Amino acid sequence: MPELATDPGGAPEVAAEGVGAAESEDLAAPLYVAWQITNECNLACLHCIEESGPGKAFDDELDEAQVFAVLDELLAHEVPYVSFSGGEPMLHPQFFRMVEHLCAGGAQLKVETNGHYLTPENCARLKAAGVKAVQVSLDGASAGTFNRMRVRGSFDTTRAGIANLRSAGVPIEINFSPARFNLKEIGTVVDLAHELGAYSFYTGRTMYTGNAVKAWRHLEVSDEQYAAFFDALRAKAAEYRGRMRVYFHEAGLLEELRYRLQHPAALLIVLPNGLVKLINALPFICGDFRRQPLAEIWANFRRAWHDPRVAQFVDDLAADPGRTKILHDWIHL
Amino acid sequence: MRLAKYVKFREEKFGGVLFETRSEKVFTLNPTATAVVREIQAGADEQLIVGRLEARFADGGGAIAGDVAALIADLRQRGLVEG
Repeated sequence: MPELATDPGGAPEVAAEGVGAAESEDLAAPLYVAWQITNECNLACLHCIEESGPGKAFDDELDEAQVFAVLDELLAHEVPYVSFSGGEPMLHPQFFRMVEHLCAGGAQLKVETNGHYLTPENCARLKAAGVKAVQVSLDGASAGTFNRMRVRGSFDTTRAGIANLRSAGVPIEINFSPARFNLKEIGTVVDLAHELGAYSFYTGRTMYTGNAVKAWRHLEVSDEQYAAFFDALRAKAAEYRGRMRVYFHEAGLLEELRYRLQHPAALLIVLPNGLVKLINALPFICGDFRRQPLAEIWANFRRAWHDPRVAQFVDDLAADPGRTKILHDWIHL
Repeated sequence: MRLAKYVKFREEKFGGVLFETRSEKVFTLNPTATAVVREIQAGADEQLIVGRLEARFADGGGAIAGDVAALIADLRQRGLVEG
């Protein structure tokens, strides 16, 4: 008698949530590939994990042939969900060709952008390609706050870009990075996201790494401030239930990493040069698309989570949270 | 009946997964549920799916029809199937 269940041998039901819900050990390929396609950026944000900025493209970023070889690998393995970020992904010289190739191949794509290149023409092209969503970073409800976080950025340009997405019919997500100077605007930013037509709003804790290390005295948020921040988000999540999803990741980094040690998400982080990170919050490299096929990288990813150096690094973080500042000193597993 | 717009399906050794990419939720399926979802993706309606599974598993008691109906109702309720 066949059983229609998500758990062979269990009751007939569909269960499990989150990319990590399906154990990566059991999967033939990742479910989600988050690809930082370039480190070049028009902005130089205070908190940027990747230390992106003008002239900050890696010297060894993948060339055109390598980029399309990776895309074809992802499609051949039926990776269902991909995101392009950066840097600013829309500055990549092959950006639209990459978007169109991936979407035409059947994968669902999210573009994570600072919103400064969302002209009506570009939004129409994203719509035509069939992107799942465009996520725009909006770190304030006013020009003063936004422009302080997004160095060289423009609140008005970003807001106009989001309006262009809406006009083109592209699904919109908004991302917010907290800092001590923008926390008080969280309620207003959530309201603004809804007013601008977003269907999802994301936020969490800003990490002490990348540019944030140098700017920490401007960014650092106390535990008490975070508690009030998450209380405000709970209220907003309830207020917008059924109209806009308000997601917030309240867990601290250590808690998240300890969970991931036991339950690695089926997620690969791909850097602009093709190196693959185990998880964004750790310095470990577990593959290289310039030299390895996806199947080999995926096998190594699953092995790497059991490497004792990973658990040791997480333990060391408990003693010294400041170790996150060396996330760019890559350790190859 | 079809998979919802933002739902992707992939077969695995243990059965399959459905990935609802708007909410970023993943649902795992056992081999039989995978067989049903494969038929949905191919455009089959409920009656056709039941007929194919009954032929495949020689079900004389009608249990398959009930299981398929329950699964499809569950998939609809979760927004994974539409139409």
